[in-house]
Amino acid sequence: MEQIRSATAAAVICRQLAISFDEVVVKFGDFHAMGPTSLDVRHGEFLAIVGPSGCGKSTLLNLVAGTLVPSSGAVAYKGNGVAGINHDVGYVTQKNYCLPWRTVEGNVRLPLEFRNVPPADAREQVRDALAMVGLLGFEKAYPKQLSGGMQQRVAIARTLAYRPSVYLMDEPFGSLDAQLRTRMHEELLKIWQETGATFVFVTHDLQEAITLADRVVVMSKRPGIPKLVVDIDLPRPRDIIDIQASPAFGAYFKTLWAALDVH
Amino acid sequence: MAIDNRQPARHGWRFFVGSNTFLQVLVGIVGLAFWEAASRSFDLDFWISSPTAVATELVRWERSGHLWVDLRVTMTEASLGFIVGCIAGGFTGFVLGWTQRLGDILEPYIVALYSIPKIALAPLFVLWLGIGVTNKVMFAAMLVFFIVFFTTYRGVRSVDRELVQNAWLLGANRWDIWTKIAIPYSAVWMLTGLRIALPDALIGAIVGEFVASDAGVGYRIKEATAFVNTAGVFAGLFVLLLISLCLLSLLKLIENRTLRWQAGDGAIATEPGH
Ligand SMILES: Nc1ncnc2c1ncn2[C@@H]1O[C@H](COP(=O)(O)OP(=O)(O)OP(=O)(O)O)[C@@H](O)[C@H]1O
Ligand SMILES: [Mg+2]
Repeated sequence: MEQIRSATAAAVICRQLAISFDEVVVKFGDFHAMGPTSLDVRHGEFLAIVGPSGCGKSTLLNLVAGTLVPSSGAVAYKGNGVAGINHDVGYVTQKNYCLPWRTVEGNVRLPLEFRNVPPADAREQVRDALAMVGLLGFEKAYPKQLSGGMQQRVAIARTLAYRPSVYLMDEPFGSLDAQLRTRMHEELLKIWQETGATFVFVTHDLQEAITLADRVVVMSKRPGIPKLVVDIDLPRPRDIIDIQASPAFGAYFKTLWAALDVH
Repeated sequence: MAIDNRQPARHGWRFFVGSNTFLQVLVGIVGLAFWEAASRSFDLDFWISSPTAVATELVRWERSGHLWVDLRVTMTEASLGFIVGCIAGGFTGFVLGWTQRLGDILEPYIVALYSIPKIALAPLFVLWLGIGVTNKVMFAAMLVFFIVFFTTYRGVRSVDRELVQNAWLLGANRWDIWTKIAIPYSAVWMLTGLRIALPDALIGAIVGEFVASDAGVGYRIKEATAFVNTAGVFAGLFVLLLISLCLLSLLKLIENRTLRWQAGDGAIATEPGH
């Protein structure tokens, strides 16, 4: 695995490990899906993962969430091995699991009900989360009445509402238009800045990865292994439009694009 | 689901004559007229009675004060039976549906029991529970049990496992999974079960009354038959018809409220500008 390190990244290294993959291999029967992968994510880090379809990006997140058990190797979360479902992470899955019989508001409130958040606080948290994804005014709508992108935002709001310390996001903005995407990027960066939460963010979009992340991991074709890890040494707090226009941004894009090896 | 095929002209006698309600009522009136005419002109009164005779019989039944007693008895038996059957069937269906292994083991036995013609068990219920209300309640409950069991069982088995897993991730405990995911998910099935089972509760009560009783609509029908009073039998059937229509519309109301999310109607606000 090739690494491109920067000076500021050294500061991150001193921090505690939030997630660590140690020689993790995932096989479905004889089908070698991913690995061996070794990768560490520090507390407060914003990590983006890119790679060709089917290389095992979702698989990586599932391992952290505890919905999948590695065939060999170990996955640790905040210092302990992942055993069973991990309730601590906020996982925005690739497919959204909105409950069709609950309204938008009811869906977003769901994890707060599970966590016994008092109703008054819950109401406020639901409202905040809906404001962040731009769905105020749709509280009473049922998922069926929403577009795909709006449903996806409900799923995102549901995770934002309970304010986890580690976010796993699997192509969360895949079905949003460019403006909405940019707005969501701003919101995420704000959350990241204000809360110091850890993000593992899977995307197909290199531009999105560079804009948001401290570090971008490029996975190889299946069976996916981290092929290149690049520190994104762009100033924080980031202004999305400015940063995308900077020459350094273009250089990162070129390096990552070459590693993705689309041909 | 209702399809709204709105026509431009919604008023005037033309519209009224063409409306479904009007035609439905018309069919009913024509049917009754035929019945009356056939009965009179072919002297079939003994076999098929006639609307006027049935009406007279109903009035007589009401005047005697028996109608309300009979109604109360039958309704009590049917509704208690329905409730008991639903609780037992729903609970068993849920438990066996949720615990796959247990369900797989016990399903053949329940199917076997279900395949017994249950009417044949009615005398056994008299033997066990006497000729009082209990016997009819339990008999109705048994009929309801099987229907509710099967629909709940299927419904719970159909619950999307990924949705459940996602709820675990969101921090649900076992109780949350049951009450907030599994039960609402299978509600469509359960409500269908209730709708099918409702007439069965009535059947259970009536059969119980046929076998052994001293009051109730079923008893009155049996008595009328013994006295070769065709109009009395038809009057009893008419009352049963009314009862089940009332019960079904009540259930429809509950269903509409519970499954409102499926209709997908209701206005929603437009996206606020940003
Ligand atoms: N439950 C499963 N059973 C069998 N094979 C699976 C299963 N889940 C994933 N796979 C396989 O594992 C590989 C990695 O899947 P994964 O979902 O992690 O890909 P991905 O990188 O997220 O792709 P995409 O970008 O298209 O979402 C795929 O080739 C897929 O076919
Ligand atoms: Mg994926």
